[in-house]
Amino acid sequence: MTTPAARADVRAYACPITFVKTRIALERLEPGEVLEVWLAAGEPARSVPASAAEEGHVVLGVEPLGPDAFRVYIRRAAPPAEESAPAARAAHPSPGGDEWP
Amino acid sequence: MALNDAQVARFSRQLLVPGFGEAAQERLLASRVRVVGAGGVAAPALVALVQAGVGRLWLEEPEDVTPADVPGWLYSQSSVGTPRVEAAAAALGPRSRHATIGPYPVGGVPTATLVFAPSTAQALAAAEQARRAGLPHVVVEADGEGGAVVTVPPGAPCFACARSAAGAGRPPEPAVAALSALAAQELLLLVATPGTVREGRRIDLVRGVTTTRPTARLPGCSCGEGQPPASP
Amino acid sequence: MSLSAKTALVVGAGGLGGPALLTLAQGGVGRIVLVEDDAVDTSNLARQPLFDERDVGARKAGAAAARLRALFPGTAVEARDERLGPENALELARAADVLVDGSDNFATKFLASDVAVRARKPLVHGGVLRTTLQILTVAPAGLGGCLRCLFEAPPPEGAVPSCTQAGVLGTTAAFAGALMGAEALRLLAGERGAYEGRLFTFEGRAARGRLVLVRKRQGCPGCAGTVPLGGVGSAAAPREVATSRPGGPA
Repeated sequence: MTTPAARADVRAYACPITFVKTRIALERLEPGEVLEVWLAAGEPARSVPASAAEEGHVVLGVEPLGPDAFRVYIRRAAPPAEESAPAARAAHPSPGGDEWP
Repeated sequence: MALNDAQVARFSRQLLVPGFGEAAQERLLASRVRVVGAGGVAAPALVALVQAGVGRLWLEEPEDVTPADVPGWLYSQSSVGTPRVEAAAAALGPRSRHATIGPYPVGGVPTATLVFAPSTAQALAAAEQARRAGLPHVVVEADGEGGAVVTVPPGAPCFACARSAAGAGRPPEPAVAALSALAAQELLLLVATPGTVREGRRIDLVRGVTTTRPTARLPGCSCGEGQPPASP
Repeated sequence: MSLSAKTALVVGAGGLGGPALLTLAQGGVGRIVLVEDDAVDTSNLARQPLFDERDVGARKAGAAAARLRALFPGTAVEARDERLGPENALELARAADVLVDGSDNFATKFLASDVAVRARKPLVHGGVLRTTLQILTVAPAGLGGCLRCLFEAPPPEGAVPSCTQAGVLGTTAAFAGALMGAEALRLLAGERGAYEGRLFTFEGRAARGRLVLVRKRQGCPGCAGTVPLGGVGSAAAPREVATSRPGGPA
């Protein structure tokens, strides 16, 4: 696997900041580059890879990092055009099917 | 300049919107938005702009707070008779440490302009000024509980081409806050994600329902002649 | 018709509820009851117009009421620092002339719809996600459907919650909340709602607004008033009923 171009340690943060920071780190990479993210076990480790995949990035692998964290490798996808629609979500094609903030 | 932790925490929900990332937020924080008119109708937009992270809000507003401006989203009864710019800055400042609010400085070069001018003549003048400077701008035409928002990206048909043929609207009602918020959103999209709104458009809001049309140049309008506007 | 004798119940004082409250107060509603059980967080300040930096950490209900009273001294504001639930919903709904739902979760949204039908009060329902808003008015004795006519099934089991579902543009929420407040003002004035039986959606990037008919669904338990308030089966993110789905992705 490609050597990661950057590493983001977001173990200290709570969701959704964990994903916000992961997203920012991914945005800074070139398409095809790999980001290594350190995530706390629990909600961050579950939701961040899923959210990244939803946005078209590829989760290459997940490894334990000590007892409380995980190391996740994510390959940055090609940047979407700014005006593209939000990433398709399988069972929820319309706003009515989503949890609203 | 990367976003610091405080900014990430503040703008986290916006930063989660696909297509609206760090670069978009940075553009907002670096922006200088000139707002023409800061009366009651503008209030919801001013709050929204400050909260969204516009770095500098320049208010072009010579008048004092009038009894018609209160009660509302921004001005309190005690501010009646004081300059609107001062009252707005005092009310908006605590909303965000990331924003500076003040009068439009002489010779200032804004990033974008939002027009809430009280008269059509003033709106036309402000829009034309923005257009000649190559700035993206949004013009609001309030009409009772609704009205229209005209969005002009650089090079798009001008406000004069797109404005209401019916002339001045009815006096604004409280429900016009929705139009104000919509105008703020159009402005934010122009500044933060300029690729999103490439074409000019006019959004009419009547009884809570919108109708959106692309704007078109009127034959002979000077906005189609001569040199293209300078890039912002 | 003067609104000074009217009462509005607003659920939530955040991104949707805040603008709705401000619009209602400016419209001259005499009494506002707000229900909100959260505390002000820094991330709220990017889109919730009732709060500023000094409010971080404070209870939202109290801070919202204080802001409204300061801006609208002629409006009676009652703050209920609690969650809308089966134990208080009916009492709150009966005491109001209109309900405005600015809550942020489906359990509360469904409860609001069920109790509005039960109490025979009009409800303005709204939701925002990313750059899209949607609003529906559930009117008693109207021809339009309730929230359960529009949404039917619970979400797929075991769906991983996505962080991106928390994303929303502040201006989208402000636009939606103000539209909801404006609709509530119409209803209080005795006019027919703009969103009665019609779901209004608006996607901000394309500035595309749509109206979708929402008819009463035959056998809908919400309309029949047979759903136990807040009970099993009344909660959670639903799938939209096919006949009412707007064409294409939002």
